[in-house]
Amino acid sequence: MHKLLISIILLVVNFKLLSQCNGLILDYNGNPIANVEIFIADLNLTIENNDQGEFTLDNDIPKNGLIHFYKHGYASKMIKYNSENKLLIKLDKLHVTIDEIGVSDTYNKLGDKKYVNIEKKSISPSLIENNTLLENITELNGVDMISSGNGIQKIVVRGLSGLRVVTYLNGMQINNQQWANDHGIGFSEIGLDEVELIKGSSALKYGSEAIGGLIYFKDQPFIKKNKPTGFLSTKFNANNHSNNSQFGTRLNIGEIFINLYAQNLIAGDYQMPDKTYLFNSRFKQNALKLSMSYKHKNLHTVLRYHLHNELTGIPGHVCVGDPKLQSLSELSYSKDFINFEENYNKKIPYQDIENQLYILESNYFLGSIHFNLLAGHYRNNLIEYGEKWTSPDFDMNLNNTLIHPNVKFSLEKYNFEFGSQINYLENINNVQNRLIPDANSLNIGPYAIFNYDNNNFGYNLGYRYDYKNLVSLDNTVTSDKKVFNTDYANNFQSSSMSSGMFYKLNDHISRVSYSEAYRAPHFSELFSNGVHHGTNRYEIGDENLSIEKSKQIDIKYQWSNDHFGVIVNPFLQNINNFISVVPTDSIYTEEDVNGNIITSYTVYNYIQYDNVTISGIEMNLHYHPHILHNLHFEQSLSLLKTQNNNDENGLSMTPANGINTKSSYEFDHSLMSIKKISLSHMYKFKQSSFSEYEEMTNSYSIISLGFGGQLNNKFNYYFMITNLLNKKYTPHTSRLRGVGENGVPNPGRSFGLNLNYEF
Amino acid sequence: MKNLKFGMFALLIGMFASCDSHDDACHECHIAYIVDNVEIAEVEIGEFCGSALEEVEGPDYTHELTEDVTVQGLDGNDVTVPAGVYNEIHCEDHGHDDHDH
Repeated sequence: MHKLLISIILLVVNFKLLSQCNGLILDYNGNPIANVEIFIADLNLTIENNDQGEFTLDNDIPKNGLIHFYKHGYASKMIKYNSENKLLIKLDKLHVTIDEIGVSDTYNKLGDKKYVNIEKKSISPSLIENNTLLENITELNGVDMISSGNGIQKIVVRGLSGLRVVTYLNGMQINNQQWANDHGIGFSEIGLDEVELIKGSSALKYGSEAIGGLIYFKDQPFIKKNKPTGFLSTKFNANNHSNNSQFGTRLNIGEIFINLYAQNLIAGDYQMPDKTYLFNSRFKQNALKLSMSYKHKNLHTVLRYHLHNELTGIPGHVCVGDPKLQSLSELSYSKDFINFEENYNKKIPYQDIENQLYILESNYFLGSIHFNLLAGHYRNNLIEYGEKWTSPDFDMNLNNTLIHPNVKFSLEKYNFEFGSQINYLENINNVQNRLIPDANSLNIGPYAIFNYDNNNFGYNLGYRYDYKNLVSLDNTVTSDKKVFNTDYANNFQSSSMSSGMFYKLNDHISRVSYSEAYRAPHFSELFSNGVHHGTNRYEIGDENLSIEKSKQIDIKYQWSNDHFGVIVNPFLQNINNFISVVPTDSIYTEEDVNGNIITSYTVYNYIQYDNVTISGIEMNLHYHPHILHNLHFEQSLSLLKTQNNNDENGLSMTPANGINTKSSYEFDHSLMSIKKISLSHMYKFKQSSFSEYEEMTNSYSIISLGFGGQLNNKFNYYFMITNLLNKKYTPHTSRLRGVGENGVPNPGRSFGLNLNYEF
Repeated sequence: MKNLKFGMFALLIGMFASCDSHDDACHECHIAYIVDNVEIAEVEIGEFCGSALEEVEGPDYTHELTEDVTVQGLDGNDVTVPAGVYNEIHCEDHGHDDHDH
């Protein structure tokens, strides 16, 4: 009996020891590197090593599961876990970084960057240096923003936006009526860690409709530590008198991991360079995000909930007449002091938005086979008050349910992935008034992806087939006697593919990728019929629109040494049946009892161009002198040309060509608590390629300055001056470019102070 | 743990204190006097709340001026608004309204 007991005890102890794996992280001189972030990708879990460079993996990590080792200043490394091998990791000191993937191994949710043009950006550490999330992301080359101040911002990738740039948050697609330029991104920045971007149509796994690109936001991973970690942060901006306060914490209780975040943001109207304020550019937001994770043996489950509320003013609203003839003085005002009772109150027109996101994700590991099932539900309620406090122009629920099973496994140098997306989208109007009718769609899209990786050479091939059924039945008569007479049912079917190849020779890496994708028309493009106050127009859809089809080729070359790095990335995309919305000669009017016109809007129709071409080149340079390792100099060039082959004009809202330059210096030892100084310059060329109904936009130059540091090892700060020279400018992608003679200017000089306390 | 509790408490207070999406507020309303398709003056008709506000903003609501009213026009000059029935009632601030913040 004693022997049995001792045997059992030994077995348990051995089992415990065998289920733990010890590792060591050193530099190439054999010195231990401490405080390295060790990210276990399959578990979405981060641990850290100790001061001696040692770490222990005491979780059951799947065989061939990816583990990513990262520390600032070192080339990160990624390995495939094999418990039979001793974990001795060596990290090389890093001198040059380009778009964070140029010279380092990184884990990417969207696929392998060797074959697919994936760009990645860290959000959480650098958000302290930016006003907003999208300003942060526009630092990626080829990415711009459609905006009207900080309240309404949306992403443009290589000239395409809205429905063509698909957004994902933690595996769930975000559908928030993104077809319109006055509807933002649909969630808060709280808890975010990284963003990955695929430009163009190579994002097979996440839908075929991302012909402009796919942008994937990831939350901070769960963390295993002895005590909770977290932060309190607050941002002040003097231009629009805004405050953005956030709280976040990550903790674990045994094998249960919890991340919790909350945010409150208020902002007044923004100040333009002439010192007046743009009326109703104010907004408020609050948000809550809770994520929980639990692992038991081979099953790993994650549950997420995100609540996001917004009250957003719609500036530049023009009720009557041509917006181009609107005087700017009618849309702005002066003030000598902040009136807390007035400056933040909502004004007509405004949007009242509530977004809720639910995700349940399960991962099951069987040897090196990884099964994943994601079930998500995203609910967007958008209420737009255009003219009246008590009667919204529309009140819509857009409910999106996604089921996404996926299995992936590796066989030596070959990787396989199979899956399918079942996506149900439903638009429901809650009031009589409406812009788009009740409608629903069901999309089923199975796919298969194959990779071959032989260190210096590899290729990738993916195929997807989509079936989409779209139905709308709506005979509502609105309060202004407009009749919706929609009785529509149609199926859209098409296949998509993506392929890529890379070759590495010493420090030279080349990649070429080719992809084909399609996008079915959306409810708004098919059925719109009404005034859209947020865009100052009356919009009419077309039920006869057909599928857009895209083909793209993308080539990327990169080279770097310890002090200099370069990336060159030309691309060409061709889209058939390109859907657009264009003004007509018709004017929609409403009259009072005396026959006076009280509202008038230009009528815009949704139409389809036979063929458009988008081409360009993006380049990145990074340099830092040998004698001044702490001085970083980065420059990026983006050249973009869009061509409507129907009429030889460009496409609307095409960003101008631009050069971004940034110099920063990091002090080894803080100078009066300052650790970093940055100076950035953005130059936008004149935009003389535009659509038939647009006008040229002049060139402009914006300089911004910032410095930041630590007051102690927990308290960080960053002070910035945006638009240092108070330049008056209106980007070609401004939502308000068509209002007033030269458009409504962007914010003038702005002082911001960001504070962050970590515990 | 103390920091965690404090942070959660502070943010919860902030969240409850902001973003009230239900409009129970009252609003000043006026007749929009329009001549040749241009609004040239406003005649205040009072403050309205709740169901009264909803009625005033309704599509069938009309307001009768029983006698002529002289007001300052939007261009600063005096305007005489004649007696009559008007259905163009505004209860919002637009950019062109006079808002003294």
